[in-house]
Amino acid sequence: MIRRRPHLLWLLVPFVLYIGALPFVNRVEPVVLGLPFFFAWLLAATVLTPVAAWLTWRGDRKARGEL
Amino acid sequence: MSAGAVATSIFGVFMVATVALGLLAVRGRGGQGGLAEWSVGGRSLGAVFIWVLMAGESYTSFSYLGAAGWGYNFGAPVLYVVAYMSCGYAVGYLVGPMLWAYAREHGLVGITDMIAHRYGRPWLGAVVAVLATVFLLPYIQLQITGMGVVVSTISYGSISLNWAYFLAFLVTTGFVVVSGLRGSAWVSVLKDVLVIATLAFLAIYVPLHYFDGYGDFLDRIVAEKRDWLTLPGAGDSGYGTAWFATTSLLNALTVVIFPTTVAGYLGARNADALRRNAIWLPAYNVLLFVPMLLGMAALFVVPGLTGADSNLALFKLVTDSLPAWAVGVIGVAAALSSIVPMAVFMLVIGTMWGRSVLSLVPRLQSQQRQKAASQTVVVIAGTLALIMTYAAPNTLVRLSLISYEGMAQLLPMLLLGLVWRRLSMAGAVSGLVVGVGAVCALVFTGNDPVFGVNAGILALVVNLAVALAVTWARPADADARPDAEVLASSDPDTDKRLEASGTSAAGSA
Repeated sequence: MIRRRPHLLWLLVPFVLYIGALPFVNRVEPVVLGLPFFFAWLLAATVLTPVAAWLTWRGDRKARGEL
Repeated sequence: MSAGAVATSIFGVFMVATVALGLLAVRGRGGQGGLAEWSVGGRSLGAVFIWVLMAGESYTSFSYLGAAGWGYNFGAPVLYVVAYMSCGYAVGYLVGPMLWAYAREHGLVGITDMIAHRYGRPWLGAVVAVLATVFLLPYIQLQITGMGVVVSTISYGSISLNWAYFLAFLVTTGFVVVSGLRGSAWVSVLKDVLVIATLAFLAIYVPLHYFDGYGDFLDRIVAEKRDWLTLPGAGDSGYGTAWFATTSLLNALTVVIFPTTVAGYLGARNADALRRNAIWLPAYNVLLFVPMLLGMAALFVVPGLTGADSNLALFKLVTDSLPAWAVGVIGVAAALSSIVPMAVFMLVIGTMWGRSVLSLVPRLQSQQRQKAASQTVVVIAGTLALIMTYAAPNTLVRLSLISYEGMAQLLPMLLLGLVWRRLSMAGAVSGLVVGVGAVCALVFTGNDPVFGVNAGILALVVNLAVALAVTWARPADADARPDAEVLASSDPDTDKRLEASGTSAAGSA
């Protein structure tokens, strides 16, 4: 399935951001725009997840020749 | 008028509007379509409706009460909710269309139906339906309690808790019996507008009212509440990074087979609506940061809340700082956040019983009778949850502890079963029994998290090992049906074919 739809790998992005990165981002400093780093990181992940899903979807559309 | 009367009147007007909206949604469709129209909206909801409905289901009164309460008590660990929902939507990108196509092709209306079809055993569907009901009932009770607390608080105590519980039950049951999934989607629209508006307002208003704006609020949190800002959070929470990671992972997998999520999937008109939803739904999660941060703001304003009172962290701020009419509107948003998910929970229980349990009774096999039986079950389930709210609140609270982790134990039987033909029924059942047993044993002995890890994920590993061992130790199931009939496909070409074939399969459902 991955060989035929390699763009599905984009779906791993939220797992890497929310779970894989945990040991490195579980900290208060540096404060980003007033937000403690852990909160800022997870907020960024929440904004990036739709982008990853969109890239997957675009890959599927391309594979079907609809784009 | 007193503050209580103002807030209560606003609340009452909106509750009537909610029921009216539910009735309007099914106008002109009454009596048609049988069970599939009621339970999965005739499989005809477009991308926007599905988005609103699924956002509505996942954004419950927990978001107002529990999220703020966890934020207040522990801080950072509460963010696991955002983590698992975002990851879950990514999994749903694959699983949603797969389950949609499977149900569409074989005329199925829920996960118990799918399991019965996959293993060719109607009784197995019935057993899973009973098990899933045990896991779902606590959620109905949680929503009844949540809405009761909100209603009682925003009426400044003029509606007592017990009346508020009854009101929650009455509005939701009445509305779901009449309108089904389509009505829930319509009411979700009203709810989402109110939720987004009120949370956006609170996000701006609270820091300005109680602090010198955002900068001051965040500076004070960073300076004074550092413990709240990283895992494992404040106090001796036990919710460290290992717990955060395993819980997010387990819940991300479980949420895609959660019967209420699946009801949303199956309501979709086509599979692409679900894929596009996987893009937009995570954006809604940004809103969840608001109650979590406000819960932490409450630390400065109303310090010293303990136990169940901490769930009111957000509402203490609201009633303390806003005029009665605004309190009423925010209360409506929170109450609708109970009603919509509760309606879908009840609907799912009704559907499971109508399709998988009561259909084993020969007299109840016709479409119209299945629907009537399902609606009866909804009333019974709601009544049961209400009675237990009054009589034995702690029983259901204990059950709710195992709900999510228990539901996770269906993963091998359902998802692995749908893609891997060799998985035998004996293997899947043994795994499920051992998994659910392990969850109960660990949770009820106070061992969750166990070694800092989510107990449900350990149980799932054992469950999977047992399922594989039993499958390989015994000969393959004798089942003459071809793979295409039994297994699901996640191939986007499949749903094109199904969409092209129109509603033939859906019509038979």
